[in-house]
Amino acid sequence: MSADGKLLELQGLRTYFYSEEGEARAVDGVDYTLMKGETLGVVGESGCGKSVTALSVIGLIPSPPGKVVGGKVWFKGRNLLELSEKEMQEIRGNEISMIFQEPMTALNPVYTIGNQIIETVRLHQGLGKEEARQRAIEMLDLVHIPNPEARIDEYPHQLSGGMRQRVMIAMAMSCDPDLLIADEPTTALDVTVQAQILELIGDLQSRTDMSVLLITHDLGVIAETANHVAVMYAGKVVEYATAVDLFAKPRHPYTIGLFRSLPDFAAPGERLQAIPGIVPSAFRFPSGCRFRTRCPLASEQCAREEPPLVPVEDSGEGHTLACHFPEEALGL
Amino acid sequence: MSKAAFEAGASSVDLTIEDPLLEVRDLKKYFPIRKGVFARHVGDVKAVDGISFRVRRNETLSLVGESGCGKTTAGRTLLRLLAPTGGSALYRPIPNGPQVDLFELSNAKMRGFRSDLQIIFQDPFASLNPRMPVSMIIGEALRVHGLARGAELEDRVSQLLERVGLRAEARNRFPHEFSGGQRQRIGIARALALNPRFIVCDEAVSALDVSIQAQIINLLKDLQEEFNLSFLFIAHDLSVVKYLSDRIAVMYLGRIVETGTTQDIFERAAHPYTQALLSAVPRPDPTLAKDRIVLQGDVPSPMNPPSGCHFRTRCPLAEDRCAETYPDYVRLSATHSAACHLIQPET
Repeated sequence: MSADGKLLELQGLRTYFYSEEGEARAVDGVDYTLMKGETLGVVGESGCGKSVTALSVIGLIPSPPGKVVGGKVWFKGRNLLELSEKEMQEIRGNEISMIFQEPMTALNPVYTIGNQIIETVRLHQGLGKEEARQRAIEMLDLVHIPNPEARIDEYPHQLSGGMRQRVMIAMAMSCDPDLLIADEPTTALDVTVQAQILELIGDLQSRTDMSVLLITHDLGVIAETANHVAVMYAGKVVEYATAVDLFAKPRHPYTIGLFRSLPDFAAPGERLQAIPGIVPSAFRFPSGCRFRTRCPLASEQCAREEPPLVPVEDSGEGHTLACHFPEEALGL
Repeated sequence: MSKAAFEAGASSVDLTIEDPLLEVRDLKKYFPIRKGVFARHVGDVKAVDGISFRVRRNETLSLVGESGCGKTTAGRTLLRLLAPTGGSALYRPIPNGPQVDLFELSNAKMRGFRSDLQIIFQDPFASLNPRMPVSMIIGEALRVHGLARGAELEDRVSQLLERVGLRAEARNRFPHEFSGGQRQRIGIARALALNPRFIVCDEAVSALDVSIQAQIINLLKDLQEEFNLSFLFIAHDLSVVKYLSDRIAVMYLGRIVETGTTQDIFERAAHPYTQALLSAVPRPDPTLAKDRIVLQGDVPSPMNPPSGCHFRTRCPLAEDRCAETYPDYVRLSATHSAACHLIQPET
């Protein structure tokens, strides 16, 4: 841990994919920071690079076709991109764990859930068979799976979607990680089950002082769980702030557009203010600012120069923004 | 439910609606469970177990609920994409005109009404034939129903594409060349092609990103206005439902547990399930207090629903009597009713 309380810091991370169509710049210079014990919400629409960023952190980019081509990932004082595969294996599962959107595809259907948790703890913590089984039962109990002594011998298909996600969380938590990466952990779940899972993650976090990197497209989930938020668009972070600052006074035209698209904020009968157009392809990003093709403030400068992510002067501590027109954005 | 009980108001219909476009009474859809080599009928999954509602002309009624509550099955059975097990669907295309029961029609007669009753699906990737160009996808129904051919057909397809915000040139392209939002526009154009009166929107915006979702919601509202459409909007996203609906029916395990106007549901929800569902929705405001009712457990299997009130196993208020009988509807107002033993009727 660095002395300033930062657990994870990304600097200029770039991950590209190569195909016949050319080079897809899925992640193209991402900077964000996650403090110890906090939750960082990463929000953006499909294809903005939020998941690829997380997979790059944990070293799970399939190569080929993908490759981390630049930047630094500082985790507890080490740059993860410089570690060997063997060193990364030590970190994965022990210090950094990850859960995914679709727990059915992330669990192996031919092994019992007990087997899968036991494998994880034996591998990482060197426990014996019996001890590992006891530990697995404890973990299932921790994530509130009723009757864990019996459930441990069930197969994934015998469980509901919410229960499977609890098993994934139990596996992820079994080695007491410092960082939990949760990639759309509740997107496939019903809203009442989502509430249970978010409550569970929050509860575990307060007990263990774990940090959570929460990737989601749901601004409601972000508002309820995140301390800081990074808004991504077309492979870049366009705005970063505390959740309170971001929701009170979003400054990037894209962030503002996202909020205005939400039916939650529209009066009955009022039209939603949709962002026009569609997200550009990662093979052909526009020059300069990538949002300019959909932005109401776009000018000739936006086509020429890419705006850097810089502090916003008249907002809270640590609020950064990549836009040439921070003042004008206030009037949107 | 008997006709008398209906008239007495012990139902989930909105009593203020006269001359509805569509009146659904006691709709049931069971799927048989078969076992053994002889496929013996051993039971039923009661996916939809007797639901009743009315839909006005030019309004949006939303069916909401979690996975497995039967909302999608209800929409599909209504259009006879699935064969109904019971109930009736009284359709009256002309105000105060003659009424037909869609469930009583022969397949041939039903075909005559199909142009009136359309559906838009959730997954714009799965619901468009990947081998057909857009002009065929949209024009097929016009051709089948003999409504247009040749140059007229081509014109109509171009018009429809432009109406849903695509360029007419898109006609010659194939579904894979479009983004998710654009594909959903194609699905909407296809539904509009036959000048329908009633469209089932089955999770029509659920798979879309929020900025695109807003575009499609706006489009649906505009089209409703322009063509006098009634929507049965099937969805699980309550903020979208709140924004789009005139009235809402909340389903749980095959039945409607509460129904009312959008205000009734969002401001005066009476059923404990509706209250929990609403409070579970994460709200995009970090300064709000989290006074959430977190339900325990999962939705039980519709193969084997709990006795009495189906919700009792997760209900924070359940009492002994809830396990004994399924509660009748309690009328809270002319527009608002809920099925719960613990609710006091309107005084």
